[in-house]
Amino acid sequence: MKADRMRRYVDLHSWLGMVAGLALFVAFFAGALNMFHEEIHHWQTPRTELANAGTVQGLLQQVTASSEDARQRIYLLPGADPGAMWFQSGQDGAPGEWVTAYSSDFNAAGERGDRPHSGLADFVNQLHYQLAIPTVGLTLMGIISILYGAALFTGLVIHWPKLRREFFALRHQGNVRRYWKNLHNLIGVLCFPFHLIMSVTGAAMGAFTLIALVMGALVFGPQLQGVIDKETQVWPAPTLTGEPTEMAPVQRYLDRARQAHPDLTVDWIEVRGYGDQAAWVDVAASIPGVVGHHIHVLMDARAQLIRVIEPGHRSFNYDTLSPMYALHFGDYGGSLVQWLYFAMGLLGALLFVSGNILWCERRTDRNGPSRSSVFLLRLTLGVCFGVVIGLAGSFLASKLLPYTPWGAEIAVLEKGVFLALLLVLVVAGLRSVPLRFSRWMLTLAPLAYLAVPLLQLVLEGRYAWVVPDNLTVNVMLLLVALSLWVVRALLIARLRRAEPHPLWQEGPLPRSDQAVQTVTVK
Amino acid sequence: MRALFAAALSLPLAIMLMGLLAALVPLPWSSWLVLQMLLAIVLWMVLISLVAIPRRAWPPLVGLLVANGASALLLQATSLYGGAA
Repeated sequence: MKADRMRRYVDLHSWLGMVAGLALFVAFFAGALNMFHEEIHHWQTPRTELANAGTVQGLLQQVTASSEDARQRIYLLPGADPGAMWFQSGQDGAPGEWVTAYSSDFNAAGERGDRPHSGLADFVNQLHYQLAIPTVGLTLMGIISILYGAALFTGLVIHWPKLRREFFALRHQGNVRRYWKNLHNLIGVLCFPFHLIMSVTGAAMGAFTLIALVMGALVFGPQLQGVIDKETQVWPAPTLTGEPTEMAPVQRYLDRARQAHPDLTVDWIEVRGYGDQAAWVDVAASIPGVVGHHIHVLMDARAQLIRVIEPGHRSFNYDTLSPMYALHFGDYGGSLVQWLYFAMGLLGALLFVSGNILWCERRTDRNGPSRSSVFLLRLTLGVCFGVVIGLAGSFLASKLLPYTPWGAEIAVLEKGVFLALLLVLVVAGLRSVPLRFSRWMLTLAPLAYLAVPLLQLVLEGRYAWVVPDNLTVNVMLLLVALSLWVVRALLIARLRRAEPHPLWQEGPLPRSDQAVQTVTVK
Repeated sequence: MRALFAAALSLPLAIMLMGLLAALVPLPWSSWLVLQMLLAIVLWMVLISLVAIPRRAWPPLVGLLVANGASALLLQATSLYGGAA
């Protein structure tokens, strides 16, 4: 390829990476932790709450007895403390909202208490898929994923001709920028298939509404929405007859689903029109051995089989959707794939940091020092360390707050601690010398992640280790601490061998480009 | 800046090209709707990356505009719009 064309590709790759890089760092770091979403959910629940937990059957009866909306449509989540989700309509024209209740919320008389719950797992999830920005966050992440995909294609064009040479090349040979470049290329090349999957599936989920809107407006017309509903729903919503019927117990639905597929694992149960003759129940589950592992067993109110949607017996649209979700969530290959996704998520976060640093250094080398390069490097460091340490702060707050007078506000304070740490570290990052700031943060961050399992051990004793989910989360947090420590060790080793780029050694953020040049010349 | 315009102009083009493909393939378009959406996404990504090839910024952007117009006209010749099955 001609040199000038290659250069344009490098420029486009850098521009796309810069625009999407910070958001992708947040999504990948939170996504790596979110690989253990269910486990974090269990981890965040105090032992005392689990002791009060009842059964799915009891929860279903308690919720449907008190809410007409829940009778229309309710999702049941089996687990140590079973949960239920339904859409509660607002009163007097107020907008409704999704409500989640757990069996431990109900007392012996079946009354729901107003007990505060940690929202840590959900917050990590929101940070992953919508940067914790309500309403527009999901679509924003969809567009970011599109730019990420375009950056991947341009990256492939750039690296394809020299792929063999760059493979396993992590040398700096006295040139520090080369170190970042090699690190970036190595991770990018090794994890390319993973990133391709993440960009396409992430864009499909995030930009689904946008694509559907444009597709409806330009190609298929307004009927498209109806077709999407028809093609993606498991069964049409029931037309309620108003004739009451006795629903079968939840266990019978589960037994019938296992008759249809003996080795399934139940993910959730959807009940529509509870107590009505036209009611139906969908046991949504997973089966081992296939990537598109989702299966739906549909039954009527009396647990008579209506339909089974499973690999080999489902529409082409389902056959496309199911692997798309599975490939994104990494839940198709058991623990091995889960840990592999976790590792690649952390490496992906490192890919985006190294890409941003490369861009800043390359721009300075090419065009001379500029305020924007200095600002961007510092912003990158501030946001990245802010997110990493902010999340550790949320984990610490989640464990500590129930033992303080502020326990009632736990869900709000978990987010508040994250936001406060993020803001403080972004400001500190902008005002500090980048090299010194990085050294401090790379000492603080591993210690913060090490502190979380230790705190749980102090507060809850053996419970931190004997429960498998707690053990998994604590091991994951220790691995994050170890990874951050390795990055710190690499940074120190690199600095011993070569001088850092001048961008890393400047003092306060300059007010103008002229000031930057003066500082650099000095 | 050209990437920004390319991102905006490539979205309708990618989707209309998928619509034209749906009109050509002898299958009910609704039966492979999810795949069309996924392909439109990949096409959108590829179109953004293609704008880096020409030396100047305006030819690919004008090309995208023209392609959008041509695709919109061609789509009128199909029975897809409003013909949800």
